[in-house]
Amino acid sequence: MKTSDNPYIPYLATIEDAWYETGGERCIKTFKVVIDNEEVRENWNHHPGQCAMIGVLGVGESMISISASPTEGQFLRFSVMRMGKVTQALHQLDPGDKMTIRGPYGNGFPLEEWEGKHILTIGGGIGQAPLRPIIEYVKTKGDKYAGLTVIYGARTSGDLCYKDEFAELSKCDDLSCHLTIDIEEEGWEHNVGFVPQMLLDLNPSPENKIAITCGPPIMIRFVLENLKKLGFADEQIYTTLENRMKCGIGKCGRCNVGNLYVCKDGPVFCYSVLKNVPEAFA
Amino acid sequence: MDLEQLRKTTAEVAARDDVKYLIGWEKGTYGYRVSPVFIENEADAEDLIFSPLCTSNLATYLTLVEKPPLPRGQKADIRKVALMVKGCDSRAVAQILVEKGIEREQIIVIGCPCPGVVDVDLLAAKYPEIAENTELKWSGEDFTLIRGGEEIPVKREEVLAEKCRLCRYPNPVISDITIGEPVKPWQTEEDPGVSEIEEKSVEERWEYWEEQFARCIRCYSCRNVCPLCYCEDCILDRLNPTWVNRAVNFSENTAFHIARAFHLAGRCVECGECERVCPVNIPLGRLNRKLAREVRGKYGFEPGLDPDGKPFQASYKPDDPEDFIL
Amino acid sequence: MSAVLLNKDKWPVFVGKLSGKVWVPKVEDGDAICFAPLSGGEAELPRFCNTRIPPKEIVFPETETLYRFKAGGYEIKAPQPDEKTVIVGIRPCDARAMKIVDSLFHWGVDDPYYLKRREMTTLVGLACSSPGPNCFCTSVGGGPASTEGLDVIMFDLNDYYLLEDITEKGKALLEEAEGLFEKAGDDALKQKDESISDAESKINRSVNVEGILEGLPGLWEDPLWKRVSASCLGCGTCTYLCPTCHCFDIQDETEGFEARRYRTWDSCMFEEYTRHASGHNPRPTRKERTRNRINHKYSYYVDKFDLIACVGCGRCINYCPVNIDIVDILRQVKEAL
Repeated sequence: MKTSDNPYIPYLATIEDAWYETGGERCIKTFKVVIDNEEVRENWNHHPGQCAMIGVLGVGESMISISASPTEGQFLRFSVMRMGKVTQALHQLDPGDKMTIRGPYGNGFPLEEWEGKHILTIGGGIGQAPLRPIIEYVKTKGDKYAGLTVIYGARTSGDLCYKDEFAELSKCDDLSCHLTIDIEEEGWEHNVGFVPQMLLDLNPSPENKIAITCGPPIMIRFVLENLKKLGFADEQIYTTLENRMKCGIGKCGRCNVGNLYVCKDGPVFCYSVLKNVPEAFA
Repeated sequence: MDLEQLRKTTAEVAARDDVKYLIGWEKGTYGYRVSPVFIENEADAEDLIFSPLCTSNLATYLTLVEKPPLPRGQKADIRKVALMVKGCDSRAVAQILVEKGIEREQIIVIGCPCPGVVDVDLLAAKYPEIAENTELKWSGEDFTLIRGGEEIPVKREEVLAEKCRLCRYPNPVISDITIGEPVKPWQTEEDPGVSEIEEKSVEERWEYWEEQFARCIRCYSCRNVCPLCYCEDCILDRLNPTWVNRAVNFSENTAFHIARAFHLAGRCVECGECERVCPVNIPLGRLNRKLAREVRGKYGFEPGLDPDGKPFQASYKPDDPEDFIL
Repeated sequence: MSAVLLNKDKWPVFVGKLSGKVWVPKVEDGDAICFAPLSGGEAELPRFCNTRIPPKEIVFPETETLYRFKAGGYEIKAPQPDEKTVIVGIRPCDARAMKIVDSLFHWGVDDPYYLKRREMTTLVGLACSSPGPNCFCTSVGGGPASTEGLDVIMFDLNDYYLLEDITEKGKALLEEAEGLFEKAGDDALKQKDESISDAESKINRSVNVEGILEGLPGLWEDPLWKRVSASCLGCGTCTYLCPTCHCFDIQDETEGFEARRYRTWDSCMFEEYTRHASGHNPRPTRKERTRNRINHKYSYYVDKFDLIACVGCGRCINYCPVNIDIVDILRQVKEAL
């Protein structure tokens, strides 16, 4: 398959590695993939927070966050929760298999604008996927940012993504990493409690900070509420939205929240914009 | 039709504490149109009408009701729903009751004996529809059209809806309150639309339906308007697995219409709504009435007559014909 | 721009001379359902108000293959629309609609299928002489003789058509049939002007959109949405027949070894349109869906492209099974402001 200026035609990519992050019916599998075409691979340039349409020919496509930072190398990562028809088919894929990719889509996080600030990511469950590239990016460009704080939680320790990476992160001196699970568990050494509460307990000062939150809608709602309690201004708060998508390029019409198309105007939105969009948290 | 009696009766029903709303008809926004309306208080009963333009079958709203998840702590409103029905509509209500799609005590049926409604397209072809709202009344055997202050007599034969020409149950088969006097059933002809197709050869029939179904745009108005198409999980919306592909072409369209027709065999009450709403004029009534004719002829079964009866599929008799089983 | 006259006797010769696939409105049993390719037997343009299915289906087919592949294979072949097309008899509202929808298909990334078809298509419009009962084009920036989006406009002057070229494409089309025309005199031009004002005077429905565009966001929680959607059946008639509705679904289909990915019209009035794979639906009821439909046309599209995504053709009103009437909804919006 060659590259084309037809935006509906995907690139072909080979799965280099794949592993399960979590178990259960709605398990999450991460794919490390490399785009086959060399020219496309070398020119591929995405920002953390952008998405791609990945799919299986004959089944369909799904919009998934790119969970690798461009600073990591010429490969992409996708963490996919098994949910519908397409994600079920994706879960069948193993290293060596092919998937299709279109993108990158969306706006991504304005990381350059945030230079000089302290970055605070607040994630829950699969919501860590779009936040992961921020962490990777800020880690490699550490001197450009005032600091990095990571808060991440899930229902149980088994539902946490990127466990090995968090084990590594916990050892880093130049960032602070906080894990939490909803329910008490034997052998769990970190916090027990909901993410929004943990945020309040940590009581971060809003000064020179940017807070980015992503997770289940109910978590986002309470995190936003608590960030406001902590004194964060709307302009300091960012989140990502998701909606059903088909084209990824602003044509098919279904992903809008109010007058914003999540696929093109988002998925990253500043709270100062979103708070005026009534449908945003529906 | 005594409008005063209609409004008085419906106002009383709408005012009842145990009634959530009453579904009736009101004048539409232009021309010959009539809108279904949901009335929650007695004052609004003033707007209700019953006329030969009240074509829509309100029974569909019994099963079309949406049940979004309630906010925590909020209880579902389990009060009764009252609805106005013509003869054919009442059969849909009876059939839904037979299928236990709704419980008898959840509804109040306001029966309106019906001398027949018009086919608005036929009426508009003869008396072009204008923006201004117009009225049509029953008068004797025929109709009177009132527009622009003028009263125009309209012959029944010219504008009567096809389903009404075939109607054998103009009086509601189920009714808690009846408005007006029962009408005398009229002489009906054997459904000429169905007969015409039966006379065709298999090839001709195929050709006929191919032409019809190729036109379908899959807006699903026929399915959605049908009071008996109320599966919570319709196979048409199912994408995993995909039973009927969303591609709009003769093959998939045919799969859709055949699936729907078979699901309605022994259940369709011949209210004609599917045919009325089709934006591309597919004669769906012929398809459904053909199956109804088969069920009636072969098994002596007619749906939607006895709310306490058994559904067709559950009414097996040892001497049922089985010659079609290969 | 120049005006010429075509004697109606010469109609079959005229359409025969046009290069490319020629589409004309098809009238059967007195009803114009859709446009259809010229069969050759047409003696004249049929009398029609407007087709039920808008000619958008010619440039934006209801189902369109994006690309084909072999089941289990990875080689993708995309079809390229390459057929020169002429739509004769398109109404000014439907041509305007195409122009409005162009903005969306150009937005950010060009849609190659739609835009290629548009490029290959010439629109020969027929000005309206008898608008339908629910036409309200004049309220939303159009008119019975609006030339926006058209390449050629025709006026029905009894025995003649008066034709005017609007664009270079239109000029080229008229040149193909040059020998058939007569010069349009002042009489004909006067007759044309009269027919326009006559048609305008026959438009009975109207909306004053002033204030609606800015006011809609403020009415998000207004009880009017529940009221106007109460009787909605949730079918796709209003959106499928709308000349500016452009939303689509993408699906895969496999038959034996042949497989394709295609797009097909979709409707924001369908429940599963926005339903996530998880089952969560951000627009859970018909109230939210109706609100989205009106907002998309009269607010979101205006924000994005400075255009109202409604041309006042009246189809959604004419064919709604339960008399949900966009003019009436807009009237209620106005009242609620």
